[in-house]
Amino acid sequence: MAEETTVQEPVSQPQNSRREALALVVGLGGWLVPGLGHALLKMWGRAVICFLTVGVLVWVGAGMRGNLFTSRGNDAFDSLGYIADLGTGGFYWVARSLETNGPDVSRADGDYGTRFLATAGVFNLLAALHAYEAARGRKA
Amino acid sequence: MTSSTSAVSATLALIALIAVKLSHLQALVIFALVISVAFGFLGRRQPKERVKYILWTLLLFLLVGVGIGWAMYPFSR
Repeated sequence: MAEETTVQEPVSQPQNSRREALALVVGLGGWLVPGLGHALLKMWGRAVICFLTVGVLVWVGAGMRGNLFTSRGNDAFDSLGYIADLGTGGFYWVARSLETNGPDVSRADGDYGTRFLATAGVFNLLAALHAYEAARGRKA
Repeated sequence: MTSSTSAVSATLALIALIAVKLSHLQALVIFALVISVAFGFLGRRQPKERVKYILWTLLLFLLVGVGIGWAMYPFSR
């Protein structure tokens, strides 16, 4: 039985650094606009799903009047929440615009909304990292 | 530029008007569905594998969510 062997083509240094720069642009783009990183790599299905997922989570989270953390947090949990919320990239400001009445975490709905917003951010960071890795040729 | 900015603001205001009123179970189901589909698309390439992964993740999300809910029931009062 013949064994399959994979031959790794040598990649030149300038080509390598160019690919790394492109991967960074893809990762940053994917963070700023959910799905843009995958769209740049022509992974259209994943791009649409990322955009819709973050969009729906932000819309529902803001609609439930979840807490959208700011940089002026009081403790470590507020700071972590801010980092998670910032993960949505441009959608952070969309969520801010949608929450015209401000957050209301005195009810369970608002608490759930906070989780929806944080999940949107963490998911978008994961998707941007996935696009970055795919651009580097590590996984798809 | 000003007209496009005002158009964006008007669209956002319109979206904000659509109030989201969900029961706890509805919120759980929407969350589980959205995240399962997203994980399925990110984690798997083949359509058949994606569907299997999405259904399995959705089932686990719902089972664990409802299970933890019932586990907390005796301590709710």
